Amino acid sequence: MADTYKDYLATRVLHDSRPVTYRLLSRALKVNVNIAKQMLYEFHSSQNTKKPNSVHATFLLTGRRPNSEYTNGTNGRNGEDTIMQSSPPYMSSIPSSMPEPEELPTAPVHKTSIVLVREEELENTKAEFLDITSIHIYSLEAGPIKNLNILSVCNHEVATEYPSKEPLEQWRTYGSIHNPYIKRRDAKFAPPAPKAAPKAAPKPSVAAPAKGKDVSGLGRRGSVSEDNASGRPTPQTTAGIPKALKKSDSQATLKRNTSDIFKSFAKAKPKAKEAEKSKESTPAPPEDDQMQGMSEDEGDEDDLPQVKVDEEKLAAARKARADNEEALRKMMEDDDDDMPDAPLAEEDDSQDAPLDKAPSKPTETEPIVTVQGGRRRGRRKVMKKKTIKNEDGYLVTREEAAWESFSEAEPEPKRPKPAPAKSTSTAKGKKTGKAGQGSIASFFKKA
Amino acid sequence: MVSENGNMLRGAPFEDAASLPSRAASAYNPLHTFDLARGAEKLYSQQYADMYFLRLKQLQKAVKEKAKEAWTDFVLGEERAKMVDKVLDVRQGELCWIVGTVFMEMGLKPNILDDISKEHWIAAPPPRKTYASHEDEMMLEDESGRLRITGEVLNEHYVTGCVLAALGTEQADGTFQVIATQYADLPRQPQRWERDDSELAPTKKSKPKREKAGKVAIVSGLEITGKVDDELALDLLLEYLTGEASGAPDQSKAAQISRLIIAGDSLSQSSPILSREDFAIKKSGKKGYGYDATSYNASPSERLDMLLSEILPTLPITLLPGASDPASVAIPQQSIHPALFPQSRQYANPPAKSNESREGLDSVTNPWEGDIEGWRFLGTGGQTVEDLLKYVDDVEPLEVMEMMLRWRHIAPTAPDTLWCYPYQDHDPLIVKDCPHIYFAGNQAKFDHRTIRGPTGQQVHLIAVPKFTKTKSIVLVDLETMAVEQVEFAIIQPTVE
Repeated sequence: MADTYKDYLATRVLHDSRPVTYRLLSRALKVNVNIAKQMLYEFHSSQNTKKPNSVHATFLLTGRRPNSEYTNGTNGRNGEDTIMQSSPPYMSSIPSSMPEPEELPTAPVHKTSIVLVREEELENTKAEFLDITSIHIYSLEAGPIKNLNILSVCNHEVATEYPSKEPLEQWRTYGSIHNPYIKRRDAKFAPPAPKAAPKAAPKPSVAAPAKGKDVSGLGRRGSVSEDNASGRPTPQTTAGIPKALKKSDSQATLKRNTSDIFKSFAKAKPKAKEAEKSKESTPAPPEDDQMQGMSEDEGDEDDLPQVKVDEEKLAAARKARADNEEALRKMMEDDDDDMPDAPLAEEDDSQDAPLDKAPSKPTETEPIVTVQGGRRRGRRKVMKKKTIKNEDGYLVTREEAAWESFSEAEPEPKRPKPAPAKSTSTAKGKKTGKAGQGSIASFFKKA
Repeated sequence: MVSENGNMLRGAPFEDAASLPSRAASAYNPLHTFDLARGAEKLYSQQYADMYFLRLKQLQKAVKEKAKEAWTDFVLGEERAKMVDKVLDVRQGELCWIVGTVFMEMGLKPNILDDISKEHWIAAPPPRKTYASHEDEMMLEDESGRLRITGEVLNEHYVTGCVLAALGTEQADGTFQVIATQYADLPRQPQRWERDDSELAPTKKSKPKREKAGKVAIVSGLEITGKVDDELALDLLLEYLTGEASGAPDQSKAAQISRLIIAGDSLSQSSPILSREDFAIKKSGKKGYGYDATSYNASPSERLDMLLSEILPTLPITLLPGASDPASVAIPQQSIHPALFPQSRQYANPPAKSNESREGLDSVTNPWEGDIEGWRFLGTGGQTVEDLLKYVDDVEPLEVMEMMLRWRHIAPTAPDTLWCYPYQDHDPLIVKDCPHIYFAGNQAKFDHRTIRGPTGQQVHLIAVPKFTKTKSIVLVDLETMAVEQVEFAIIQPTVE
């Protein structure tokens, strides 16, 4: 261990010219912060004896500074305060009916200063202190830094690069203050039973695409949720499949019709939903459980116990997902090409035709709807009239497809649900892409 | 100069620092005085008049008692002062005293009609720093009517909404010449541990052995923007609170802190309601339909979540919302929704049990009251103080806080100039139990003072400064009630 820190610091500070704080060092090497501070000092002094000024340091001083200087500082900064300063004691203006001001003598407030300073200003700053209770090196840099704010990248790195699996245990390693009373609640969604995985293993080809869709929908939501989708639901999805497949042959259509209404009220039964998802494997409509991570009463996914999953199955799934994403991205790009037309069409409508007339033929195809609490939201494809002047100078009205988002207050139970099923057969790529995006309503859904 | 074990400027061989003492338990028993009903039971259709009526009715008794005590034997000339029940029953020339709610007629006070007319101006005048001017008039009103007040009392600091008893005579022109005033003064103060003990009483359990209480740290106005500029100070705060920064002597001091209170304005400009200026800017921009999701910036709340989740493994937190936080805007502000804290909410109670106390994250209301280590805490995010300061000149925040306690009302200026929930059948903003510690967040500078009440109550008033402005936090020792400050400074290199 003796030399790992030297290697680390040499690479990071001398070679990469990136700053390093004691906290980052302690996380990188898994040592106590107080030892990391000493390591920084050792490295700083040994390097600078070899080659002066090759390494620069910032110091953290803790102690007492004279108070007066500080108050001057605030006055300078805050010009509005001047009124307050000269104010007569308020109590004197209170009539005799008031009790006498019984102010207790207030002892001067003890004030601890924690000051971060470069080595260049260290001596001057030290001289300001009445006494210093602790001093240590805060960070090392390759050269003098102009703005100390860049040191914050180190702590950011601590948070992102070294997230702790067991935050309640890290005091043992890093030496932060231990609080035995803090409890962390487990995430509510239970991790699936590990033994489910091997049973489902023979079916990875079905599971993977279904899951791939999920991920595509989540794509925008950042890596955390993606991890969630990839790490957690895999076994769940696969576990659900064998049963689902059995049922789905006979009851597929019936179930799909009912399930939408159920979804709007009930806490979704995961199994039914998984089953459905696996059935309509191609254009999975945005299901609510994607958003589990955001629901109110659940914890984060980071602390989930790692589920043991077959490595090869995972790899297969990962590959399938990657393929899917690639395909999706292409589709999305296609979409983007279409999109510029849509707003144009709307604009034209607003000028020429009354808005109500715009979707004159309700040729709304396969709206992507999420129903929740009697409110429907989603996107639907609408045929819009677009009037343009053609090259001969005539006005030509054409109908064009445009996507329109909507949300309606009253439920529309009679809406024919098989619509998505139809789309399944045609399997237009466009729809899948959109399906991923239209899932904002599920954000609010309780798991 | 540097103490021996605080000097970490030593190299190999590396010696393990002595392990730090663990934190003490934080005996924490929050009250839910300011929680509003949820969902459809939260009604905004009521009139605010009820609030003034309720306030007068609830405070009348206490104020009357105070006045009786002071003025029953008051004789002016030949005349003895007597009480008149209703403001309208005051007879001219008669020495008497009345109880009523103060109303300040101020030309500069915001007025809804002015607001509407402002819409037609090209540039709205800047918002007022103060409402006070020389033409202000003071009235005293009850359910029957209003009296215009003249006399010495005008030179004092009264604001709309406080309940007073006034002694004087009605003049020929119908104004009421006031000689003296009385207010309710501090209510009863519970004993330390009173509430915890009474909760134990029915279970016949013996009192638990209580360890020596630690300190509570109060910080306000973190105003996280998610930008790099304010990061480093937050880092130092975090490292101080987790006990990573500094050497052994300071680390073990930090270990005495047993709870952190964040008193409002943790995020910068995240209030769901835009200020008039921001709204104008937004309006002048591109016209869009509905909510523009691209304009939402999640990084401030993510940064706050990160900060909280790194503090929480070692320190429990009570989080109050403030004026700039994404909570409700009217007093009492309801707690910040845990969905904003995907990481740190694992330390909070699950929603179903959110009323139970717990070591961890407690997202509470503003104002908030509760017991910490047996002491009653009352705290606000500072809006009440800030608004009251607009009524008066030359007054410091601590004096305002003291007056609010003596008037027994946390937000007397609500609903006049401070947004407030229209309470219908009770007014929780009336101070029923005198706190031991009363803090207000987001003040311009740190200040503290101890005041005493007529029956020996002792209240520690603390004005907590904005962290962004002063980079300092306040520590209160819950055994000795000593107040300390910790400041963080970053000496930026001078530009060469």
